[in-house]
Amino acid sequence: MRDARYAYAGTSRQVLAGVDLDVDAGRVVAVVGPNEAGKSTLCLVAAGLAPIAIGGRLEGSVLLAGDETAGLAAYQAAQRCGILFQNPATQLSGTTSTVWEEIAFGPRNLGLDIGAIVERVEGAMATLDIAGLADRDPQRLSGGQAQLVALASVLALRPSLLVLDEPTSQLDPAGTRLVGDALSRFAAENGTAVLLVEHKTGLVARIAGEVAVLVGGRIVERGPTAEILADPALAEHGVDPPPAVRIERAVADAGRSGDLVGLDLAALEMEPITGSPLPTGAPLPTGTPA
Amino acid sequence: MVPDFVLRPPTGSYHALNPSTKLVLAFAEAAVAFGVRGWTGPLVVIAIVVATAMTARVGRSLVPFALAVIPLVASILLVNTFLFPGATDVIARIGPLAPTWTGLEAALQATLRVAAFALSVAVFALTTPTDDLLADMERRGLGRRGVFVIGAAIGMIPRMVERASEITDSQRARGLDTEGSRWRRIRGVVPLAAPMIIGALSEVEERTMALEARAFSAPGRRTILRPLPDSTGQRTARWAAGVGAIVLVAASIAGILPVP
Amino acid sequence: MNGQFSTRVITLMPVAIAINIVLGVTVQQVLKLPIYLDSIGTILVGVLAGPLAGALTGILSNLIWQYAPGIGGGTIGPFAVTAGVIGLLAGLWGQLGVYRSRPASGTSLWLPTVIAVAIILFLASRIYGNPAYNDPAYFVSWYSTAIVLVAVVVSVAVVAWVVVKRDAAGAWVALAGAVTGIVAAIVSAPISAYVFGGVTGGGTDVIVAALRQGGSDVLNASLGQGFFSDPIDKVITSFVVFIIIASVSPRLLARFPNGERLTASAA
Repeated sequence: MRDARYAYAGTSRQVLAGVDLDVDAGRVVAVVGPNEAGKSTLCLVAAGLAPIAIGGRLEGSVLLAGDETAGLAAYQAAQRCGILFQNPATQLSGTTSTVWEEIAFGPRNLGLDIGAIVERVEGAMATLDIAGLADRDPQRLSGGQAQLVALASVLALRPSLLVLDEPTSQLDPAGTRLVGDALSRFAAENGTAVLLVEHKTGLVARIAGEVAVLVGGRIVERGPTAEILADPALAEHGVDPPPAVRIERAVADAGRSGDLVGLDLAALEMEPITGSPLPTGAPLPTGTPA
Repeated sequence: MVPDFVLRPPTGSYHALNPSTKLVLAFAEAAVAFGVRGWTGPLVVIAIVVATAMTARVGRSLVPFALAVIPLVASILLVNTFLFPGATDVIARIGPLAPTWTGLEAALQATLRVAAFALSVAVFALTTPTDDLLADMERRGLGRRGVFVIGAAIGMIPRMVERASEITDSQRARGLDTEGSRWRRIRGVVPLAAPMIIGALSEVEERTMALEARAFSAPGRRTILRPLPDSTGQRTARWAAGVGAIVLVAASIAGILPVP
Repeated sequence: MNGQFSTRVITLMPVAIAINIVLGVTVQQVLKLPIYLDSIGTILVGVLAGPLAGALTGILSNLIWQYAPGIGGGTIGPFAVTAGVIGLLAGLWGQLGVYRSRPASGTSLWLPTVIAVAIILFLASRIYGNPAYNDPAYFVSWYSTAIVLVAVVVSVAVVAWVVVKRDAAGAWVALAGAVTGIVAAIVSAPISAYVFGGVTGGGTDVIVAALRQGGSDVLNASLGQGFFSDPIDKVITSFVVFIIIASVSPRLLARFPNGERLTASAA
């Protein structure tokens, strides 16, 4: 997107005030930022749902696979860009009795023939390794499982860009781990471009190659994940650095650094940091919920 | 291949009938139960409904539906038997109460009508899964919007009931009275309703976005996964039941139906 | 966007239907109150999305309530007609801008309030003065008192709202609710009388019994019960909807088909 500016209907305040951002196929770009920075708006604009589905005024240019979103209908945008929201319960259609049918909901809306639908549903389930849930009732899944089903439902439309709007923020620790694992597998193996918008930086450190910081509707910083997350300025923007960075700083501050100070940040990134609960007794601050 | 748990081949002969056939039958039964006055209409319908329930082997499941109409039936019996306007054929005077035969007759007939109606709908509901009904209606031309509204509403009710009872329980635990006097009960409605309504409405926006993200507003017809066989025999039966019910009701209203 | 049936309205309708049914079951069958509270969703959709969407929400609510596995409303199905009319009227009120906030002062604040209260009290007096209700031989003592009491309480509530919020919309909403209630009573009475012998199994049956004891025939007892329950019920319901709408941000309201009629300022 180039110089994208967006204001909601009935207001003149620009929630996005000139955002430049691009995500190439196979790349995972994360956007972090404090509350009210315009993160969720960015997701809707990037996915082409704003202004099509919610009105409002968009200036500048937002391209999905080469097409201006302003010229697309919502169902056309949906086939170019998938979007996963926070709450798994509201993303399921509520009209199906099995996970299989739930994932088939999108392809059915497109009117595809039955063979193509079967292929897409099975494909999406295989990608996320949830074929075992196929005959379950979507209303009787755990939060993490439901979020994966919601993701599979979106992937069944075969988008070339995937937008994740704080995908684990409403999940319990087990769900966070489940979805985090699936997303990092997906990001590593799939050629889809991913835009991850997050408040918690744990997941960002794990799957993103690049991070941009959004404050007040503008991107104020952008760079490789390790660099941005280790930047002391991050906290000033209202974003908590991931636990690994906090541990390192806490140790350094204590002045008993020893050989930990020189620890390679890249090595820390390899550890599974999922935002799961810290070990009991660890005196570390936890991330603020979004 | 679409897996079997999605295709769900129906078991049992009545269940396997096309949903529309069962729906038309239920409507025809309801029309006769209400439209043909006196004893015959409701009694004949009850006989048909019970026979159908036996054939479909859902007799046992009818019990809760039958129990659900008890408050209504009790109301009908009491109000009509004791307070039937203009009736003078008193059965017996018990203090200030004067039950009448006319009232009792009207009450029993109304009871039968209500029972016949409720049970015919119940047999339909028990033998026809909602998604079968919706798939069939969609095949006959109902748009995706209509299918979604009906399907999502039916799916949402049990979840909301669960939520309502959770709220009632937690409020009872905090000392709110749901059994006490009328005034106390009225006061109980607000804290019950407010969180439920606000919770549900706050989700509308998210649900809308999620639907749009799944190509809900795409043009054209949706693909239907489940084939629901229909036959000439069933088509004929539907017409016969529909037209038959209308003729019977019309004859009854015109007063040319020679039944009690 | 697709006229009255945009995707947003399509998502709102099932929520509204479920609210109608769950609240209706709770109030009528669990709490046994002599009102219904089963049209909050219908009126909400009517006001936000227009008469057609409102009417459909009402009709579907009752049909689904009748069919709903596990709830199976014994008698509610045939009242789909009434529910449809209620939704239709709500849609009309919405399009007329009745639910729009109207900050006002002086005469423009008092005049509609006085008119609304006068009409509510007039309606109560018509019921109070009807011989069907107060045959001294069988008269149920709490009945007339209750009508006057409720009418006064509703009037006071309307006045209080208008004065505290300095918003004349309260008066209009109350008036719209009262009119909707009267129409609903007229539509339901024949259904209730003809189909169910005048009773429904809910808390309203107390009133039917009282009226019959007072000497009314089946239809008039149903009508009388309706004139008692419906205006009160619909004034309360309309107020609830008004409060809900007032609490939704204008940004979200604007996305509904009737949005601009609910948010535009009175000036």
